[in-house]
Amino acid sequence: MRIYNRLIISLAIALSSVNVFLAFLGQADISVYFIVNAIAYLIITLLFVYLNPKAKFALNSLSSIIFVVFLVVVTMEVIEILK
Amino acid sequence: MKNPYKILGIILSIAGAVLAPVFYFFFLSTPLTAVALSSVILGLASFFLSNTRPNISPEACQILLKTGMENTAALLEEIGIRNKAIYLPAGMRNGYPQAIVPIRDDYNIGNIKDKLSGRLIVRYGPDANDMAIAVTTPGSINLEMLENIPGPTAYEIESAISYILTGVLDIANGVKVNITDSRINVEIRNAKMGYEEIWYYYCLGSPLASIAAAVSSEALQKPIRILEEQEQAGKYRIVLEVLS
Repeated sequence: MRIYNRLIISLAIALSSVNVFLAFLGQADISVYFIVNAIAYLIITLLFVYLNPKAKFALNSLSSIIFVVFLVVVTMEVIEILK
Repeated sequence: MKNPYKILGIILSIAGAVLAPVFYFFFLSTPLTAVALSSVILGLASFFLSNTRPNISPEACQILLKTGMENTAALLEEIGIRNKAIYLPAGMRNGYPQAIVPIRDDYNIGNIKDKLSGRLIVRYGPDANDMAIAVTTPGSINLEMLENIPGPTAYEIESAISYILTGVLDIANGVKVNITDSRINVEIRNAKMGYEEIWYYYCLGSPLASIAAAVSSEALQKPIRILEEQEQAGKYRIVLEVLS
């Protein structure tokens, strides 16, 4: 189960680092946090290319859910800017 | 509920989902809300992964592997064969990759036929004494797990072995493959399985070497023999010989 452990630890480190970095910059918009977190998640899961097909399918399903929410958030941000 | 990934996933997801609105509406803290959202993402990833682990325990798998190995070892010991196995691509064994262990000591590799019959005892050469035992190895079985048969380059062989050892079986951290002339050098990082001084390993190689040989044989479409394998400073080195 070491590859799963590595994936979860990598995700935890990346997501925590992103949050600390954005907090350090004084970011106060929750949608920015979500967008950057979603991108970090998508990049890290893509890097684990040697996962077995079942794990890949499970992670891809979660990736598609996160991507849909990501698109909704980005669209709402764009609409707000255009207003 | 013994699956640790499922427990971790449920705890992180529920904690994140409960704390996110609390942090956002009561504490008015965006960074803490973001931490709760990250916890939900991490929890969901862990939960999704928990369902992809096989139900059978590692101990049960070990028993099955040992049973098969001991049966094959008993067969080889009974006949008294101490020759190194030759891994054949699926095309030479009726579409099923296997290894043959020649019975006579002074066997000639050049005599191997293009196609061997799918029996336990096979005649691989023109001479009446060119007989061998055909056995299924851990490498043969693992080839079925590959999505595609790898090409003949070192990179493709490396990717295929990495996929099986790190992704599917999770018994190593990484693999490096070099091809020089008729030799294939495979270097495995942090392997969980090693070499043992037993009859089975001497003839057919350790499970790691067996997987490397079976994948290489299928990729190159040529018979392969395990020349040596040794553990050195956390790295497991396997040298394969390509026979033609």
